[in-house]
Amino acid sequence: MDFPFMLQALPEIIKAIPVTFFMAVAATAVGWILGLFIALIRRAKTPGISQVLAVFVSFMRGVPLVILLYIAYYALPTMIYSYGLSIGREIDVSGVPAILYAITALVLDQAAYSSEIFRSALGSVDEGQLEAAYSVGMTKTQAMIRIILPQAFAVAVPNLGGLFVGLVKGTSLAYYVGVYEITATAQLLALPKLNYIEAYIMTTVIYEVISIIFNKVFNVAENSLKRFRGVATA
Amino acid sequence: MNLAAIPSYFPKLMTAFPVTIRITVESVIFSLLIGALVSVGSLSKNKAIAGIAKGYIAFMRGIPTLILIFLLYLGLPQVMKRIGINMQGISTITYIIATLSLSTSANMAEMMRASYLAVNKGQLEAAYSVGMTFRTAFRRIIFPQAFGIAIPTLGNNIIMMFKETSLAFTVGVIDLLGKGRAISSASYGSNRLEVYIACGIIFWLCVLILERVTKFTENIYTRGRKQATAK
Repeated sequence: MDFPFMLQALPEIIKAIPVTFFMAVAATAVGWILGLFIALIRRAKTPGISQVLAVFVSFMRGVPLVILLYIAYYALPTMIYSYGLSIGREIDVSGVPAILYAITALVLDQAAYSSEIFRSALGSVDEGQLEAAYSVGMTKTQAMIRIILPQAFAVAVPNLGGLFVGLVKGTSLAYYVGVYEITATAQLLALPKLNYIEAYIMTTVIYEVISIIFNKVFNVAENSLKRFRGVATA
Repeated sequence: MNLAAIPSYFPKLMTAFPVTIRITVESVIFSLLIGALVSVGSLSKNKAIAGIAKGYIAFMRGIPTLILIFLLYLGLPQVMKRIGINMQGISTITYIIATLSLSTSANMAEMMRASYLAVNKGQLEAAYSVGMTFRTAFRRIIFPQAFGIAIPTLGNNIIMMFKETSLAFTVGVIDLLGKGRAISSASYGSNRLEVYIACGIIFWLCVLILERVTKFTENIYTRGRKQATAK
């Protein structure tokens, strides 16, 4: 073990943690909202859109994340460029940071996976709840926001927690599209003197700590949301 | 981008398909074996063994597969060299199978543990009461029921692992994606987008088939069987 290397490299790797988090949080924030809408639209069985979304979800779940990242990385610049031409401007695509492409791929991935979680969570809320809300004069939107969604969310939290931890692990693949997050930084630091074992042990510890922390956070959230459950699941 | 050209890459990509299948099948077998051992450990009354098994599961679930690949492929030979073992003769595909077996074994162990616990305890007591040993009771009463409960999760675990085989290219194995990368670099990257989309479609279709097979197996297996889950 090359301890001087570890002492030197650790702060550098830690500096890359915010990049990993930024990707994870951005993908979660956008992806899960999209996922919720996909779930609601598919639940409402809106003809046409519902089927298209079903295919989208199936595709995103069927394609490995690394391929999704590659597709986003190579397809988006062309798309942005041709969009620029269509509005009469020449956009310099090389100026767009790679992290944007990575986040786009992660958002699509999260939208698909979270929509399935939301869909089953919405399905677990008893139909009678909606009828009861109507009977006291609530509109459909009110019933959704005040009655159905809080209960569905409580059911969804454990699965969302698993999804988020999986996403943090998935961000390590962004290395292949040139984002300098934890994994890429470790790889880069290890290269000159081939300190692979040291670099990857540090990376492992960092990812393990992140997983432990978020598993705890979601456990606490799950417990504090328990009061919404029980009545809900039919 | 030339969308019409995408299907023309299928035949070339499919030549690497047997490699992907080999990785998947071997990893499934090994992960089930390791998973079985770990699940027995996690159910053990010995607190130390149960603790180690649960620690192993938590560790494997917390580490990104890519990091595990790098640890085994780049890190392990360095360590082994220092203690005098040369790992140079080991093929790259072995590393990828080892990685996927280890990372999936945690999910397999959890699946087995949960399905075992889902079978009603009374079933085991009933088996004892008619004079069965634990072995016989497990083989004839518990396992058949637990297996039925495990099928959907097993299918899901296999699908997730199948998708992760795409990481084989990171150590230079020519699997589906490795082949895709080779095709695109042979044309200096001019058709890379089409090739990657073609790769994605192949994975997608395989996942759809695996989902169908899971559902079908579950239907066949659970038909006419009473669910004996603990409630």
